[in-house]
Amino acid sequence: MKLEKLNVVGRAVAKVDGVELVTGRAKFAGDLRFPGMLYAVARRAGIPAGKIRSIDTSAALALPGIKAVLTAEDIPGANIIGILPPFDQPLLAAEEVRYEGESLALVVAESREAAKRGAAAVWIDIEPWEPVLEVDEALAEGCRKIHPGGNVTFSKRLVKGDVEKGFAEAEVVVENTYHTSFQEHAYLEPETVAAVPGGDGRITVYASCQSPFHIRGHIAANLDLPASRVKVIQAYTGGSFGGKDDVATEIGCLAAAAALKVQAPVMIAHERGESIVGSNLRHAARIHYRTGSRRDGTILAREATIHLDGGAYASESPFVTMKALIHAGGPYHVANVQVECTAVYTNKTYCGAFRGFGVPQVTFASESQIDELAAELGMDPLELRRKNALRAGQANATDQVFEQSVGLVQTIDRVAERAAEPGAGAPEAERNAGRWLYGRGCACMLQGISNGAEGIDVVGASVQASQDGSVLVGVGLTDMGQGSRTVFAQIAAEVLGVTMDRVTVHQVDTDSVHDSGPTVASRSTTVGGMAVYKAAREVRSSLVKMASLMIKCEEQQVLLQDNFAVLAPDARRAADPEVRIPLREVCTAAYWTGFPLMNLTFSRAPDANFDHETHQGNIYIAYNFGTHLMDVRIDRLTGVVEVLRHLAAHDLGKAINPMGVEGQVEGGALIGFGMAHLERIEHRGGCIQNANFADYAVPSIKDRLPTETIIVEDPNPTGPYGAKGVGEPPVAGTAAAFANAVAAATGIRFTSLPIRREDLLEALQGRNGGAAAEVGS
Amino acid sequence: MLLEFELNGKQTRIEADPTLRALDLLRDVLGLTGTKEGCGHGECGACTILVDGKPVNSCLLYAAKLQGRRVTTIEGLTVADDTADGAEDGTEDGAEDCGSPWDPPPLHPLQEAFLCEGAVQCGFCTPGMILSAKALLDQNPDPEEREIEEALSGNLCRCTGYRKIVKAVQKAAAELRSRGSR
Repeated sequence: MKLEKLNVVGRAVAKVDGVELVTGRAKFAGDLRFPGMLYAVARRAGIPAGKIRSIDTSAALALPGIKAVLTAEDIPGANIIGILPPFDQPLLAAEEVRYEGESLALVVAESREAAKRGAAAVWIDIEPWEPVLEVDEALAEGCRKIHPGGNVTFSKRLVKGDVEKGFAEAEVVVENTYHTSFQEHAYLEPETVAAVPGGDGRITVYASCQSPFHIRGHIAANLDLPASRVKVIQAYTGGSFGGKDDVATEIGCLAAAAALKVQAPVMIAHERGESIVGSNLRHAARIHYRTGSRRDGTILAREATIHLDGGAYASESPFVTMKALIHAGGPYHVANVQVECTAVYTNKTYCGAFRGFGVPQVTFASESQIDELAAELGMDPLELRRKNALRAGQANATDQVFEQSVGLVQTIDRVAERAAEPGAGAPEAERNAGRWLYGRGCACMLQGISNGAEGIDVVGASVQASQDGSVLVGVGLTDMGQGSRTVFAQIAAEVLGVTMDRVTVHQVDTDSVHDSGPTVASRSTTVGGMAVYKAAREVRSSLVKMASLMIKCEEQQVLLQDNFAVLAPDARRAADPEVRIPLREVCTAAYWTGFPLMNLTFSRAPDANFDHETHQGNIYIAYNFGTHLMDVRIDRLTGVVEVLRHLAAHDLGKAINPMGVEGQVEGGALIGFGMAHLERIEHRGGCIQNANFADYAVPSIKDRLPTETIIVEDPNPTGPYGAKGVGEPPVAGTAAAFANAVAAATGIRFTSLPIRREDLLEALQGRNGGAAAEVGS
Repeated sequence: MLLEFELNGKQTRIEADPTLRALDLLRDVLGLTGTKEGCGHGECGACTILVDGKPVNSCLLYAAKLQGRRVTTIEGLTVADDTADGAEDGTEDGAEDCGSPWDPPPLHPLQEAFLCEGAVQCGFCTPGMILSAKALLDQNPDPEEREIEEALSGNLCRCTGYRKIVKAVQKAAAELRSRGSR
């Protein structure tokens, strides 16, 4: 793409849907009302494992206001959901309970309250089994199989070079085992759907969701309907972060089944407790890691063995396994890398996609290793990273080489420059003498953009110009708050030379665009943006052709800008320097001339091409590279941590909307900080003990970080205007930098996340915290 | 029972079940769905409304408790607000153009600032967040950062990281002060 002067792309703009949101007019799924609408609530197992002996719905049906109770028998189709093979989750379980949130029956009633009372009245007889709760237990020989195929969900290896040879040549080796715990998405809007039977043999489902096409496919399969009879419309979605995929298909199917049974609109709106127990979490991980280098800091070999606790169902465990595997080697040029990653079933709430998708866990382990190595070598941690940093033209852990858009070193340099400026740190003399312990931590990371190894990556988009010169854009990927509609509007406005107020980006409606798969993998801007770009270019060619006929000039002499067709500066003739035709006139003329004003296209990212045994080859179309630096101080008397400075530099190719980028970085950073310092799902006997916001510590405004976003733009040839995504990457960078900052401040290497205030206090008082080891000991 | 209260500047009389939550009265009976339910236990602040100017979690309040009170929801911020010179001239006067997609309806300076500062992502927490901020600014037109933090500490946001929310409140405070001094 040649360099061009940009009018809209690259400017900080307010969200195109912002007015609805600040005025409360935006309709989220739970805000929709349909005549005669009923409410449904699931009866859940409440125990983590057992054999279902019987389900008796008669007492529930006898209660006032109850319209129907559905069990597995009422699901006409497959009664199976799941995002990926092995599709292994029953919509309504009839045989076996695999986790406490298992849905056994669905009660449909006149009100939510009545439905809740009805759900409580469904009589379930379950023979309880001893739950399988730990990864080692699940993998032990003779353990009860949670699924017929055994307790390994998915297991893969990455092999680059020869790690044994690399370690044999290494002069310094560090080795450690790291743990991360389950994390809840905690989007503010709990999952909600409304299913409305049409009078035309179709059913429409309005959903708070991330992947409308997944929902459409699952409804078709479970209701035994052709997919063409199912229409899914994304309602305004109050955050998702990976979370509203499996569960949205689950409640979408249930609501649709109920709606068809009672022939009335049915809404399912989860309460907060259900949202935590009954939808996927971030995988807990155990990562054994070994890194070997020369004395000069050149890393020769890295080896990691990763176990992910995936809970009761596969969900996206297979892809999270691959993503963890591919990213575990870190953003470094290392000749010998070997990684094994295994996801395991246990009788707990299932795990799946959560912003970062396996990368935050492995980045924490990998970057802790780099700091431990730096300590062994006596090197500055940032220097060690710069020395080994992946550069353009070098092979990464999958042996993929990018000739451009590898901006890691720029992020390191920008962070180093900014960190050298006087900032929020304490005067040197005070450091670590009194009550406060000061420390600085940094971390480098990479995050693959696009579906990559996870399969084909296509996104559909439609762009249509009306006779009045306004533009309607549709894309098959969802805006869940991250601002992709705004980015798509900017791209369409840029290509068509219209101002932002003339562009409308409608929400996803499965009737209107090509199946675009799930909205994941930080791919909206990159792949979705490219689809909008392509469709808009097609419409543009009609407008340019029409304008050239109207102006009587060559097509290449026409410029579209600010809602006008004008002559390019070098084509302006002395006779008519002021040629300016409003685009609405061009559009109207194009319509009456019969030029197409709409284009429906899809963008296909270059396919992945790699060896499935070793994961060597070309996997992602681009990577986002980042460097984070965090200065903290820790109160040695109370364990309180204050973050004094947080620098977050990301190479994202091109910032289409810099304000949106900052929002993604600041928001992602706080989720990473929550993972590293505050958030921990507590289980007892397989049941979650803190399924509410009083006991599960979602960061509040008091926990906010002083994040400074540093934008590095090393253009990506596969993205629109050089852009690559930035949604997920800040999570990993922040969590890893926090752990290293805490280690620097305390001299204690914590190997488990979260490192909570109480963990710090215990370790500082006893210097013997269970999961902590003295640095250098 | 017959409930009578002032809702967004208008006297409202309605026969309603007094054991309803105020949240459900607003959303299901009165159709004001701008007030959101995030947790149902007073832990997230998404359902914040103003009762006699004070922020309240409407999920914890019986509808009967609204009797005789002055209630403000997010829908009430755009109609007739109690800013110094009214909200009718909200967008023309002092409001900046930050690339809003079309001629927006008259916005309260807090709404304008949340929009222009990027303090909104998914927007589900936004109505409650804005009302908590309004309660603060009504009492304290020039709050310190710590005071903003305190006032909004009951409103969770999972998207933004809160930095831009603090900035937006500061910017709205400055705008409201400048209007008040004209």
